[in-house]
Amino acid sequence: MSTTPLWRRYLRFWGSDPGADVDDEFAFHVETRVDELVAQGFSAKAAREEALRGFGDIQQVKAICRTLAEERERTMQRTQWWADWRHDLRFAVRQLIVSPLLTAVLMVTIAVGIGATVAIFSVLNAVLLRPLPWADSDRLVFVYETWREFRQGSASVGHFHDWTEQGEVFEQTAALTRATFNLSDGEPERVSGVRVTPGYFRALQIPPVLGSYFTEAEVARDPRLVVLGDGLWRRRFAGDPSLVGRTIRLNGQTHTVVGIAPPENNMTQLAPQLFAPLVFPPQQRFNYGAHSFTVLAKLKAGVSRDAAQVDMERVTRGIAEREPKNMEGRGVNVRSYSDVMFGDFRTPAYVMLASVICVLLIGCVNVANLLLARATTRRREIAIRSAIGGGRWRIVRQLLTESVMLALLGGAAGVGLAYFGIRLLVDFGPRNAPRLQNAGLQPEVLLFAFGITLLTGLAFGLAPALRAARANMLTPLREGSKSALRGAGRDRLRGGLVVGEIAVAVVLLVSAGLFIRSAWRLQQVPLGFEVRSVLSARLALPPERYAADEAVADAYRRILEHARAVPGIGRAGASTGIPLVGGGPDASVQVEGKPFSPGSAVSPAIRLITEDYVEAIGMVRVRGRTMTASDMAAGAAPVVVVNERLASLAWPGEDPIGKRLSTWTREIDKPEWREVVGVVGDVRSFGPDTPARPELFLPYTQPPVMAWPAFQRSMALVVRVRSTDDAAAHVSSLRSAVRVVDSTLPLYEVLTMEQALGADGAGTRFSTWLMSLLAATGLLLAAVGIYGVISYFVTQRTSEIGLRLALGATPQSVLIMVVRHGATLAVIGIVIGLIAALGATRAVRTLLFEISATDPTTYVVGGMALFGIALLACAVPAVRAVRVSPMQSLAEQ
Amino acid sequence: MEKELLHGTLEVLILKTLSWGPMHGFGIGRWIEQLSGNELRIEEGSLYPALYRIEKKGWVDASWGVSDNQRRAKYYRLTTEGRRQLHKNADTWSTFAHAVARVLGAKQQPAS
Repeated sequence: MSTTPLWRRYLRFWGSDPGADVDDEFAFHVETRVDELVAQGFSAKAAREEALRGFGDIQQVKAICRTLAEERERTMQRTQWWADWRHDLRFAVRQLIVSPLLTAVLMVTIAVGIGATVAIFSVLNAVLLRPLPWADSDRLVFVYETWREFRQGSASVGHFHDWTEQGEVFEQTAALTRATFNLSDGEPERVSGVRVTPGYFRALQIPPVLGSYFTEAEVARDPRLVVLGDGLWRRRFAGDPSLVGRTIRLNGQTHTVVGIAPPENNMTQLAPQLFAPLVFPPQQRFNYGAHSFTVLAKLKAGVSRDAAQVDMERVTRGIAEREPKNMEGRGVNVRSYSDVMFGDFRTPAYVMLASVICVLLIGCVNVANLLLARATTRRREIAIRSAIGGGRWRIVRQLLTESVMLALLGGAAGVGLAYFGIRLLVDFGPRNAPRLQNAGLQPEVLLFAFGITLLTGLAFGLAPALRAARANMLTPLREGSKSALRGAGRDRLRGGLVVGEIAVAVVLLVSAGLFIRSAWRLQQVPLGFEVRSVLSARLALPPERYAADEAVADAYRRILEHARAVPGIGRAGASTGIPLVGGGPDASVQVEGKPFSPGSAVSPAIRLITEDYVEAIGMVRVRGRTMTASDMAAGAAPVVVVNERLASLAWPGEDPIGKRLSTWTREIDKPEWREVVGVVGDVRSFGPDTPARPELFLPYTQPPVMAWPAFQRSMALVVRVRSTDDAAAHVSSLRSAVRVVDSTLPLYEVLTMEQALGADGAGTRFSTWLMSLLAATGLLLAAVGIYGVISYFVTQRTSEIGLRLALGATPQSVLIMVVRHGATLAVIGIVIGLIAALGATRAVRTLLFEISATDPTTYVVGGMALFGIALLACAVPAVRAVRVSPMQSLAEQ
Repeated sequence: MEKELLHGTLEVLILKTLSWGPMHGFGIGRWIEQLSGNELRIEEGSLYPALYRIEKKGWVDASWGVSDNQRRAKYYRLTTEGRRQLHKNADTWSTFAHAVARVLGAKQQPAS
């Protein structure tokens, strides 16, 4: 006579119910006692009272017991849970040990996939994701002048001051300009640095290593101050702390070292080794014509870039109203620091990460397929486990434990591989990628590695696990061993996975194809100058000893004379600006007989050159003549040589020879005419992917006013060596030619044009190389995947094939059956892949040179290549199928 | 301390009872009473919490079965650990009980 309602008991069906158990147990006790007492003659009521007496407060006792039971229940569940885990882990380890070869194959696949992904991620993390070292670095912006389509032009002194004084959005502004210095205490050395206004240090807010930074007041008292970069200080001055307050000789003048800046102050790609004050003479305050400064600013807190853009447009409009002549076609552009510094690397970095994840995915599919194959051989084991009460979830968990453990082992090995991968990426990666050398296994990279490893384990483990759990438990037990392997559904899953991996491989292949074709096209672009056998080296003459224009010209003339005397050096010339290695200032050109307005005038790059320069660098003479020694003589008529682009802009459809132009004049309205004596071919000065700009060449003996100071009295020597000689081997002879003239002059930017071109294309070449490597890996893995599936297909059908052959089927028909199976999967995968590639390659559009992201050739070739590889991968198992011996395969049954 | 002592005593008695075989709470109480020659009256309010306590400690485990009077009853069974505890504690308790008996039966004041 239970007082517990029947339904309560059913609750136990879903798990134990301590409360109900206590009620039932107590009820049993009381009822038994009551029966006993009634048998002794008690009335039912008295018996019940007597029975309950021993319990005291029965509700309280129940509560105590219930609590104890519940506590026990919880402990047991916990113990059970841990015991299960231990069991799963032990079992997983045993599974891995039982088939060492399979385990090794799986681990290598996972390790390579994860290693590559982690390596690429660490680069992306170092270049793009790591926070900048400056406080509120998201408020740092560059302010550019724009001119027509050029969006990032340098600013004039006048602009910098007006923006600073009239702008309402900036907390700090700073102007900076690149400068190189001859450091001449001891062995002379050319060091690159920047001239900055003191606001630079306040904008970055990085405390100095030693001393202090210069301020406006200090600079006003004495502009000969310098802040040394940490690197230069350690390298050249052995990190001597007493250097602060002492003087060093820069460009022949003593400068007081006021402080040492930490490496984090290097916020541009210029990698300055020292910082000198940038001082504007008062008469320059309203100069809006010479654009040569980079303007860095820090936004006030809470001001957006867009708001800053609006405010700067307001100020710049004001300038335009006051200075209409100088401001034609000009505007202003505010860009965030990180956009400017990292913008170019964002797309390539994410494309690479996406590609390497694709490879990882393909690897996962292969691993999943191998695990599926193993799961089939383990179906009996799993069926038995579930038959003896292993819950479905337990079996899924067991299999997932195995795959996650496999992934963790592979991931650990992958992190090891990534360590070396990162070193390779840093060594071979593009030099101009900021912060690339910081790539490493930082905590966030390891976290990423861990996350992606877990995801990988789940990704390749889930399909086999769910499949195993869903499989009909009884079939494998009822059927024999071999026939149990047959199952159309299983094949469909494996087929689907292979189709997926082929599709991903196609996307990779097409992307790599586009990169390769783009790189090939880039290589076909005529540069307009000779790359082989040309060596260049730059030097700058210190102003205190080479003040006059004549002294500068004379020095270069003598250096070149000595250079030409070296055996093996054919032509030797010099120019203030050479292709690929740094640019030079532009100046607007007034063409004789045509209306002139500074804003819309042609602005070629201005280069001072010596005779023989055009020949030495290997530019092509198109019309007229090039510079000769007579042009360099004192009192020679003012002449210029133009390139084709400038000729076509200044005199469209006319012969420019004999025409006159004026540029870089003493006064804005007084033309100084120079006659065009020759036209040379265009040169891709900024590398093959940038169209040629107009260029104007002047004899170095006829410099415009203040031109030598503007060029820092610096020229690049260019020598062409005998074609049998190694250009790089002539560096020492060039050095000695300079030393004969002035032993204190350091040579810098010493490199052959081949090296220069190599450095210029490094980024593109690197992404092409990496992309090809990834695509090749993807292709190989996909081939392995399709091979595996077709092999499996053949193994499964051995008896069927044997039967067919026994019944008279020809070997060809068997071959066709097998290959058709593989080809069908391949074609489906390729079609899906090509469609996906149409979408995916849109991301790489901006990285391609003169090739469309939908380039049909690449798609067709990519698809065909994969189809060919797929057929090859099918061929091996297909041939094995034909060799099946009918007798043997039937006997095996 | 006293409560601990009593708890401990009851637990050992239960373990001892169960060493003959599985039994339900009612039967355990009855057996202890009978074995003590009805000297000990085991209150249900103490018996059941003690049973749950030693079940939680893992000295006994329980399952549902059918009693002699055809009712569903919860049967307790000694575990290996329970058997070990019984041996350990039984010795301690008999030593202790002996000592207590000697103290209470003393006729002479101890020499100081």
